[in-house]
Amino acid sequence: MGQLIFGQLLNGAIIGTLYGIIALGVTLTFGITGIVNFALGVFMMLGAYAAWYFTDTAGLPYPIAVLCAVGVTALAGLVADQALFRFTRNNLVNGLLVSIGMIAVLEATALLIFTATPKELHRVMPGVIQFMGFVLPKMKLTVFLVLLAVIFGTYAALTRTWIGRAAYAYAQNPEAAELMGVRTARLQTGVVVYSTALAGLGGALYASLYSLEPTLGSLFVLKAVEAAILAGIGSVIGSLFGGVILGVTEGVGSIYLPLAFRDVYGLVFLVAILLFMPAGLFAGRK
Amino acid sequence: MRFQNRFLFFALAVALLALPLGVKSDVVLTILVFSWLQGMLAVSFNLIFGFTGQLTMFHAAAFGIAGYATHLSMQHLGVGYWTGTVLAALFVSVLSIIVGTICFRFRLKEFYFAIVTLAFSEMARLTVLNWNSVTNGTLGINLQEKPWLFGFKVNDTVSWYYLSLVALAVTLLVCSRLVHSWMGRCFSAIRLNDELGDTLGINVFRYKLAAFVAGNFIAAVTGSLYAYYLGSLEPGFLSIDQSLGIVAMVLLGGRSSVFAPVVGAVLLTALPHLIHFSAEVRSIVYGSILILTILVMPQGIYGSIAALLRKRHAS
Amino acid sequence: MKNRIAVVAAALAATVSSAYAQDVVKIGQIEAQTGTLATYGWMGHQGANMAITEINNAGGFKVGNKTYKMELVSPDTRANPQDALIQLKSILEQQKAKYVFGPFLTNVFNGIEPYATQNNGKFLLMGGATAIHAQLGTPNRDYLMRTWNWDAGASGFGQLMVDYLKKQGSKKTAMIFQNDAFTKVAVDIYTPIFKAAGMELQVELFEPGTKDFSAPLAKLAAGKPDYLFPGYTDAVLYDIVRQATETGLFKNFFLVRGSMAPGLKNKDLIDNYIAYLPKYFEQAEKTEPKVREFITKYKAFYKTNDFPYDQAPLCSSSCYDHIYMLVEAMKKAGTVDDVAKVKAALMSITYDGLWKIRYDTTGEAVFDFDVLHMKKGGAITATRVNPK
Repeated sequence: MGQLIFGQLLNGAIIGTLYGIIALGVTLTFGITGIVNFALGVFMMLGAYAAWYFTDTAGLPYPIAVLCAVGVTALAGLVADQALFRFTRNNLVNGLLVSIGMIAVLEATALLIFTATPKELHRVMPGVIQFMGFVLPKMKLTVFLVLLAVIFGTYAALTRTWIGRAAYAYAQNPEAAELMGVRTARLQTGVVVYSTALAGLGGALYASLYSLEPTLGSLFVLKAVEAAILAGIGSVIGSLFGGVILGVTEGVGSIYLPLAFRDVYGLVFLVAILLFMPAGLFAGRK
Repeated sequence: MRFQNRFLFFALAVALLALPLGVKSDVVLTILVFSWLQGMLAVSFNLIFGFTGQLTMFHAAAFGIAGYATHLSMQHLGVGYWTGTVLAALFVSVLSIIVGTICFRFRLKEFYFAIVTLAFSEMARLTVLNWNSVTNGTLGINLQEKPWLFGFKVNDTVSWYYLSLVALAVTLLVCSRLVHSWMGRCFSAIRLNDELGDTLGINVFRYKLAAFVAGNFIAAVTGSLYAYYLGSLEPGFLSIDQSLGIVAMVLLGGRSSVFAPVVGAVLLTALPHLIHFSAEVRSIVYGSILILTILVMPQGIYGSIAALLRKRHAS
Repeated sequence: MKNRIAVVAAALAATVSSAYAQDVVKIGQIEAQTGTLATYGWMGHQGANMAITEINNAGGFKVGNKTYKMELVSPDTRANPQDALIQLKSILEQQKAKYVFGPFLTNVFNGIEPYATQNNGKFLLMGGATAIHAQLGTPNRDYLMRTWNWDAGASGFGQLMVDYLKKQGSKKTAMIFQNDAFTKVAVDIYTPIFKAAGMELQVELFEPGTKDFSAPLAKLAAGKPDYLFPGYTDAVLYDIVRQATETGLFKNFFLVRGSMAPGLKNKDLIDNYIAYLPKYFEQAEKTEPKVREFITKYKAFYKTNDFPYDQAPLCSSSCYDHIYMLVEAMKKAGTVDDVAKVKAALMSITYDGLWKIRYDTTGEAVFDFDVLHMKKGGAITATRVNPK
């Protein structure tokens, strides 16, 4: 039993980083533009299909395909921002609705192009490693490490660079930041595009682990929003831990409690956090 | 209400009442029955969202739970449809008081309120989905009974048309009375700034809860009507998509008036049956319409037209 | 004079159009073609669309001494009972169709069932939904037929499949299924079959949308079952089989729906992969001329080089063969309008198309299928089974 729990702790943490990377996008977008971008799920889907296309059809090596996929998603994010999200800044409900509209449009387009047949990438890195009696696919571990690196890298960039500090300043006090010379429009666009690129990366890595369907992002984005709130919106490292906590709760919860209620465990936890620690678990820490 | 408005209102009421005399198409009437029911849902949602400023995601739960509760009380308590509906609506009200008290006592606002109500709604859905012995789980329940009213069995589409139209009219009347009362002014104060409401001596908690319970009560009645019109129940009634659909109706119609959400409800109910494209293309068109409405007409269709008329009137 | 011409022209137009209308047999289809549950409906639509276009391109079909063409009315229900009810009303009332295929989804069927039952006798509804099974042959359900093999009962394939599994020496099976309408019934069907065969069955259900099965697989593996009986849709099969084999938790698989592709993809890590399949297209393409022709036609019709081998078996339900079978029944009945006669004809024939399809006495389809057995390395043996 100990092994089972340890395995699920580890596995939950890995899935949690996938929630975490999208949650990071949710947190950044919300902090800087005041909207919750539910369409990050479809950008994730876009990244996943792009990675599949660049490897299995175009024949590129997987790491390059991932980079291409991230590029494609970022570009799509830029277009979406300039055409749509630009007009919904600081309007939570309109932003929500526009992202729902986008989900309908992009999912249907994906269905037209890729059909409902699940796509599966060829095995990028077959094989497993044994770790304290738990068998872990190598690819899963790799995805975990890459995502950790990106999240911590983002954290470092936000705390150490001028643009990062500008973003923080803006999130704290938009007017003051603007007076200090932060160019709001550019900052907001940059954050939206970066968030979609993160979602694209999440999707491209997801593609190496799971089969792809046009609707793959919708479930993920809900979890990511949960994770972001759990951590406290605005907390970069928090979004990672929010994701991990969610992943672990689901994994370990599924062992002891009926699996069909899996999605409830995270929600119950979320409600408890919001009621008793309304600013999130990582309030005050950035 | 000015005389002109009153006349318009009266003409509309007569036209809608007389409609089944001219329109014999079962398809059109069915779309309208669903539109009126969805309209009730949207109007009651807008009481909580548009007038009191609380983005609730519990509406689908109130709607779905009531369908099941009506069926269960009819089956196990041996009551008739209408008593069952009242019991279901009371049950949903009690649930709303619990959920609302938790949310408002802890001063959850905006997005946080939306997420916590969504969490409760999902818990309700998963309970309905997995409580097989009571709800028949994913297989759903077929409802054979139909309501009786004044000795008539509400069975065919025309009688449902009138029943749903009257129910919608009562909803509009109740909500409009509520919104234009002292209570409605408290709702607006809370929407605009609830700290300010507090300092003005408004019991913010009590009025938020009142709006939440009232909205869910109407949603519950709607759920009971909807289930028995459709003749079946399934856990999908409580899904997130259902709640999002309601939000879309309200935004499309407009959130600033009691009546406006009905416009959105009619449009979104009828739209899938008016546009004849292949499935994927239709979904793309639907999404685009949603996006365009939000970006081009942020006040919704009703709000934009009203603004346009006002401008013309002024010039 | 001008007026008179107009009147004559109008009258002519009326006769022409009504004559034309008479010569078209409309076929309705109510399936979800978008959304997470769209796989079956989408494939069903592809098959029906193809069959009807083929029939029309060949000049239609002859009943008595009249030639008819077909027209498909195929709205997308989006798995929403409200939309489906409106669509069915439109198909029956406005399109005046008498033959409707679908739905595959139980919630959609439940939503249209009261209206359909009110219109008993006026049309035929031929769908695959789980919930249809329980209503077949009950009063006022003459309109109802089910186009899919049923797991249980005298002609059911579940028993045949479990018999096959027992021959492999299996003692304990772990079932991991998506929590949905079919699963609820499947657990009720397979529990007694396994029990009667003297085999143990462990059951674990998961929420639709689950992609990572690490937790439930580890939980099930702790009970040391020798076969894994995974969910039935391809969307989850790929992931379950991959994750179960990658970690070495399971080496043997038993499926009553789904496809071979997930097994083949992991063929070196699997000892046995046993599946029920309406047809193994990869092999049938080589041995059956009809199948080869179908695949060629499909590729040309949808202008694609990728034949959906995994999902083509779903074509047996609510589409390709069933359209042809319906035409054959109309010819035999000598009418395209008399629903009762057409139904009687449908029940009396065995259609020999891609499948050998017939209906049992309640109106449920029974067709031949393959039991496929893949061994380590990917060697597949197919056993054709004709249920009694």
